[in-house]
Order: sequence, then C-alpha cells, then structure tokens
Amino acid sequence: MNRLRRLAAQFPTVLLARRNLSRATARSTLAIVAIVIGVVAIGTIGAGGEAFKQDQMKAYQGFGGTATVSPVYYADDSGSFSDGFSDTDINRMRQVTDGATVLPVVERWDGAVRTPAGETIITAQIKGLDDPGTFYETKSGSIPDNWRRSVVIGSRVAENNDIDTGDQLTVVANGSFAGTYQVAAVLEAQGFADQLQADRAVFVPMNQFEDAAYDRVIVSVDSRTGSVEEASESLETEFNARQRNIAVSEVQEQREQFKQLFDTINKFLIGVGSISLLVAAVTIANTMLMSAIEREREIGVMRAVGYPKLAVVSLLVSEAAILGLIGALIGIPFALGIGMGLNQLLVGDPLAFTTAGLQYIGVGAIFGIGTSLLAGVYPAWKAASKQPVEALD
Amino acid sequence: MAPDISVPADAEQADRDRTDTESQTATDADVVIRGENVIKEYQTGTQTVRALKGIDFGIRPSDFVAIVGPSGSGKSTLLNLLGLLDVPTEGTVRLRGTDVSTFSDSDRTTKRKHTIGFIFQSFYLIPTLTALENVEMPRMLDKTPVKTRERATDLLQRVGLGDRLDHYPDELSGGQKQRVAIARSLINDPAILLADEPTGNLDRDTGDQILALFDELRAEEDVAVVTVTHDSYVADRADRVVNLVDGDVKNDGEPASGEGDHS
Repeated sequence: MNRLRRLAAQFPTVLLARRNLSRATARSTLAIVAIVIGVVAIGTIGAGGEAFKQDQMKAYQGFGGTATVSPVYYADDSGSFSDGFSDTDINRMRQVTDGATVLPVVERWDGAVRTPAGETIITAQIKGLDDPGTFYETKSGSIPDNWRRSVVIGSRVAENNDIDTGDQLTVVANGSFAGTYQVAAVLEAQGFADQLQADRAVFVPMNQFEDAAYDRVIVSVDSRTGSVEEASESLETEFNARQRNIAVSEVQEQREQFKQLFDTINKFLIGVGSISLLVAAVTIANTMLMSAIEREREIGVMRAVGYPKLAVVSLLVSEAAILGLIGALIGIPFALGIGMGLNQLLVGDPLAFTTAGLQYIGVGAIFGIGTSLLAGVYPAWKAASKQPVEALD
Repeated sequence: MAPDISVPADAEQADRDRTDTESQTATDADVVIRGENVIKEYQTGTQTVRALKGIDFGIRPSDFVAIVGPSGSGKSTLLNLLGLLDVPTEGTVRLRGTDVSTFSDSDRTTKRKHTIGFIFQSFYLIPTLTALENVEMPRMLDKTPVKTRERATDLLQRVGLGDRLDHYPDELSGGQKQRVAIARSLINDPAILLADEPTGNLDRDTGDQILALFDELRAEEDVAVVTVTHDSYVADRADRVVNLVDGDVKNDGEPASGEGDHS
C-alpha cells in the first residue's frame, strides 16, 4: 500500500465522494462552474467596490482635519451674516479656533467666464481663495508664490473647454472686477465629494475682489496638534449663542456619510452577486438529487451492508462540499485577477487591495463552500432515509 | 374494571414468557435466526397485500437453504426479513434469541453489518471502486484500513481473484463480479449469507464454481447460506428447500420449515 493510498484510507468518505464525482464529470464540472461564477461575482463586486471607494476617498486626503463654515440664511434676512463674512468675522474665527488655519472663500454666482474664443462657460464657478495650493495638487502648471494676477482652474473646466495653462480667460464678477487672466495652473481631478467643487471652479486671487464679503470659510486644523471637532465647537459657541448664524460641517463627517453611503451600495451589489450563488446552490442541489436517484440501489446496498444513515448523509454532503471547495479554489484566483484589473484601473496599482476587499473575496469563497454544503443536505438526507428494502426492489 | 382483566392478562404474559424460555433452552442455542408465525403485509394504494401468511423458519450455522417459488410468492419478502432489512407485521423474528422488532433502525444496521452477508442478483458493485475497494466497502468506515485490506485481499484470493485486485467492475466478467460480491459479503465474517439468485446471471460452469465456493464456506467457516432461486439445479444442491406459494410454505414431500427439519 503506497503512502497516498494509506492517506486516502484515513478519509474513506472523502475517497468515496471523490470517486463518485468523477463518475459524472460533465455534471460535476457544470456544478463547479456555477460555484465559480458565484464566488467570482461576490469577490469581484466586493473587491472592485472597495477599489472604487478607495479611489473616491483619496479626494478627502487633503482635508484631514477641516471643516467648512457657511452663513445660515433666513427668509426674513435675520441671519447675522446674510451678506457674507467680513474681515472682522474672519479674525474672530481665527481667535476662537486658536491656531487653526482659517481660509475665507468667495463664491460668485453672478459672474461669467469666457474662453479665449469668447464663449461663455456657464458651468464654471468663480471662487476667490488666497491659495488653492493649500488643498489641491496641480496637474499642469504651478501656482505662483505671490498669486495676484492669474487664475487656477479645475480639471473639468480645463477638459470640457480644452483650456490649458498659458491660455487667457476673461473673468467678470459683477461689481468687483472684470479682466483677462492667464491660466497659471490646472488642478488634479477631485471627484464629486470635494467640498469646494474644485473641478468646476475658476479660482481667482482674493485681492481681485474689492468688497471682502466671504461666502464660506474653510477651517483647517493640523490633526497632530488639535482637533477639528474642538474648533467646530468653539465656532458654534461663539457665533450661534443666540440664534443659529453659522453652519459648521466637518469634512470628516461628510467623509463618514459618503463612506456609509458607499458601503450600503456595495452591500446591495454584493446582494445582487449573491443571487448567482443561489443559482449555484440550486444547481448543486439538482446535481446531488440526480446523483442520489441514479445511485439509489448502490446507496441501498451500502445501507444493507451496514452503513448507518449518517454515513450515507456525510458521503453525499462531502460530494457537494468537494464541488464547492473546488469551485471556491478556482474562483479565488479569478476574483483576485479581476480585482487586480480594477485596482489598476481605479487606483493605479494592481496590488492596492484593501483588507475589506480581500475579505469580500474570502467571504465569497466561504459562501461558495457553505452554499454547496447546504444544498447537499436535502438530497443526502432524502437518499439516506430511503429504506434499503425499497431501494433494492 | 381494572382488576378484572389484569389477572388474565398477567397469566397470559407469564404463559408466553414460559414458552419463550422453553423454546430458547430447547432449540435456540445455535439457531442464528428464527421466525415464528411470521406475517408480512404491504400497503399498495388502498389494498393490503399479505406477502407472508404466517410461516415459521429457523437457520442454523452451515445450513444451505434454498427458497423457491413462483414470483410474487413472498421469496424476496422472506429474504428481506432474514436480512433484517424489514420487520414482520405480525409474529416474531429473533436474531440469536432477540426479537428484531425491539431493535431501532440503527441497531438493525449494526446487526446486519456483523451478522448478514448480502449477495445480490445484479451484484451491485460500486463502479468507481476497484475489486479490492468494493470488498473493503462495508468496512471502509471502521478506521482499520490495514486489517481490512489484508482481509479483503485474502478473500479475493480465496474466490480466485488474487490477480484482479485493482480491476474496476467494468473490467470483470459476470462470474468475476459475482465472486467479488461474495468476497464483499464475507468481509465482516457473517453468520448467514443471503443470496438472491446468485447464479441467475451466470453460465452453468461459473454457477458451479459459485456453488462450490458456498460449500467450502459452509464447511470451513460455518456460514449458513440462504438463497432465493428459480434454478432447480441450485435447489438440488441445498440441504433444505422451502417452497413458497402465495406466502405460505408448501410441503412437497421435502421437509419445508426449519422447525421440523432440525428437531
């Protein structure tokens, strides 16, 4: 008796199960394919979703500990800042947040931006900011140290209108300024989660706006020395004592909301993917039922020669489990491969798997095996419960 | 009301107990399986079919009993009862003195394993297992692979298939398959071999070899052989012939029931 045989003899149920599966190769293969599809569906949707989330989350990286402060508007104009924040307000904010960077932003909706050809870019938003470089990386060009006479544009503005650094844009802000500015830099794409919607913005240096009424303020705290929650609290205490004058929204909060939203979407998609495993379960159950019916007499013989009911059940369940195991073992590399492709596409690194992404693949594999096991139980029980005398008739 | 019927009921019980004790001391000492007034009924749709109409039987070590009769006469039913695959509707079947109706399903499974060897007309070998593995099959779950393999090899050599150990059933002739099936039935050292038409699918020469093998097993291992057969040639070689007609034993001059034959 060679070593392999001796090992196999230690697990007679598995040996018998494997032999039985090899009897109907085509049927076993189809059942395995069904499991592979299920495992790949769950694994890929999970890991791909994680890659997508990772890609979107990168947009928040520059906003480690920031909050945006905006005035609260009331219908009867009773809000204290209905005309925007003044320099005095900004100074008050600087004082109460104690050491945080307070950056005022002007957002003008009544302005117009025209291309060198004279076309109006209606989707472009004019924003005044002291230094966009605080938050954003440039894709081309650079923001001058002493930024006073040029504009910086977002990626969508650049792409949609075919504008590049060096081009001349005409920017008009009613009551403030009108002029032609050179594009100093184009920013990297930020995604829809960006708090300033930088992709659609044309940033103009703050000194261009004569009336310094700020529409929004970004408060940035170095997360190593302070916390943005504390800063937000101080601001709310200072300005919202009598009535709600300002709205403070922490980026972290938005990030959490977005993450939750995304997790929900991902779970839903995985739910859809799980349907394929359900179909696989039906296939396995069908395969095992047919196999059990075909082998009715054989199982009758086993029962007759002294195999307990449970031994027959475990034999047939083992067969289903082997199908699931093989399906999972084939499915994992497939899911990893597709996941790597998605990583490359979305994050730019094929190996950028997150723990959660890998977990989804693991969960897919475990579900694949689990479903097969469950699907095997009923046919097994049915076959084993048949009295040998009936089976042998 | 209760005292009225309790006395006769007790008396009846005592009476039956005494009968049991007597019969056990008298004849059950070496009887492997005994049936008394065995009735077996089946429900087919709304009809109740009485397959066995109250028969007695007893099988002793190294008996060779042939059960003959037309189809539908209850032969298979009797074989199923002997093989503990079924329990009687009325009457008792005792295995070494214990009423089989007291066994649970799993008890019967265990008793079958250790007492009964089955040989089926269509062999019912498992096609994915080699001859050797088929013989080992009943003991495969016993976790004694080395001992089992020795015994299986020994049995296959004994039935003349020492050179066919690793052949699969579809590589064996009908006679060889039947011999593998016989080897399989012997793996657990049974007291009784139940053979359903053991020569039914074989030519006369091969059938002869099988019958010779039965004789050898009876002589050397005291195995009782009970066979259902249509073949008068097999019946002629048996010690006893039980002729079943419509679920009853017909005595055609031959001693038919086990009781009369051995006392």
